[in-house]
Amino acid sequence: MQHFVLEQALNYLIDQGDADIGSLNGKTIYFALDDLPLTLNFICTNNRIFVTTDTSSNADVDIKLKSNVFLSLLQGEEISDLLKQDKIIIHGDVKTAQLLVDLLKSAQIDFEEILSQYTGDVIANQIGNIARNLKGSSNTLNSPIEAIKDGLTSLLISPSKSKLYKNKNT
Amino acid sequence: MENTTHFGFKDVATEDKQGLVRGVFDSVASKYDLMNDVLSFGAHRLWKRYTVASSNVKTGDKVLDIAGGTGDLAIEFRKKAGESGKVILSDINAAMLAEGRRNLTNKGVFGVEFIQLNAENLPFESNSFDCVSIAFGLRNVTDKDQALREMHRILKPGGCLLVLEFSKTDNELLSQAYDFYSFNIMPKLGGIIADDEESYQYLAESIRQHPDQETLKNMVLDAGFSFCEYHNLTGGIVALHKGIKA
Ligand SMILES: C[S@@+](CC[C@H](N)C(=O)[O-])C[C@H]1O[C@@H](n2cnc3c(N)ncnc32)[C@H](O)[C@@H]1O
Repeated sequence: MQHFVLEQALNYLIDQGDADIGSLNGKTIYFALDDLPLTLNFICTNNRIFVTTDTSSNADVDIKLKSNVFLSLLQGEEISDLLKQDKIIIHGDVKTAQLLVDLLKSAQIDFEEILSQYTGDVIANQIGNIARNLKGSSNTLNSPIEAIKDGLTSLLISPSKSKLYKNKNT
Repeated sequence: MENTTHFGFKDVATEDKQGLVRGVFDSVASKYDLMNDVLSFGAHRLWKRYTVASSNVKTGDKVLDIAGGTGDLAIEFRKKAGESGKVILSDINAAMLAEGRRNLTNKGVFGVEFIQLNAENLPFESNSFDCVSIAFGLRNVTDKDQALREMHRILKPGGCLLVLEFSKTDNELLSQAYDFYSFNIMPKLGGIIADDEESYQYLAESIRQHPDQETLKNMVLDAGFSFCEYHNLTGGIVALHKGIKA
């Protein structure tokens, strides 16, 4: 369910004009963290991003790394350095991978918190993070309040937060 | 019997199903919203809200809501697509569509188009919509595969399909409670509030006959979608399938 939050945040960014996915359009990027049960496809299409857990179709670029390496990447570590140290595996165009990382960086999402969802339960913080990222907009259509309501709705209706459903295709 | 299909737990001639389903929704149309709130304890509003939030619909998008009934999804899509977008509320049933029109007018929502259509045969050009949704409608459609192929056809590349539908919970306790509720309480409430126990008996039965999460996911992929994932809501009582056309 965390990928829903990620998808919302990324598309919000694109809608606000704070991110340009022009060069990513038409690309599907497979993203896997080795040490967590987290594999995602970022499908960049129709000027938006879908983040799905369905990774059955072939992607244009494959990125595999450990979660701590991912966090260091977001903190400014260079892909090229990580590649040299064999800390990240990329199949396909490295530039496309770089564009995705840049996008994730600019989303200013607290990934540490999001990743902790896969090992613990920190729903309240997550809501705080959505709020932090979305505040300050005057757009009444896809407004922050609406986005927060959507985020809350997803949390309320999904018992997938419980250990019972964890790691399933929810 | 050849050329038969399910109508709830009954087998009926394929060509008869559409008329029988029409009978159900003709009968429940005027009490439909009230019944939804009562029967789902209001949860259907959250399920629908989550569906629209998952759509990634943006300002200017073209959206078709199929089997849209009283228009709950269309109202939310209208907010997202804005003035420059286009939202079509469609349903096979004139009485439900009329309720939809009334409901939107009462809520001050304008600019939505209304079209009476059958999900199996969509009167639109290929590659023309950014998003197509169907909420609690697919199980009533006679040829679901054909309907899904049509939805795929009219979506643009990168377009998103949303199917919100009752599904299967894998929690034994929840499943038993839900069975008891839907077969013993739901039809009775339908009798009391909408004066139509039989229609609500059909609704309970049709929910049980609907494909489970994995089966529906494969149907979506077979219809031509490149990606499909589902999210279980309320423990799998309801599931949202999201398909993306490459
Ligand atoms: C349970 S209602 C759902 C209404 C609305 N989407 C909602 O979630 O409240 C099912 C709707 O499906 C419509 N329907 C049944 N068969 C259909 C078909 N083949 N094509 C289009 N709509 C159909 C019915 O008329 C009815 O309005």
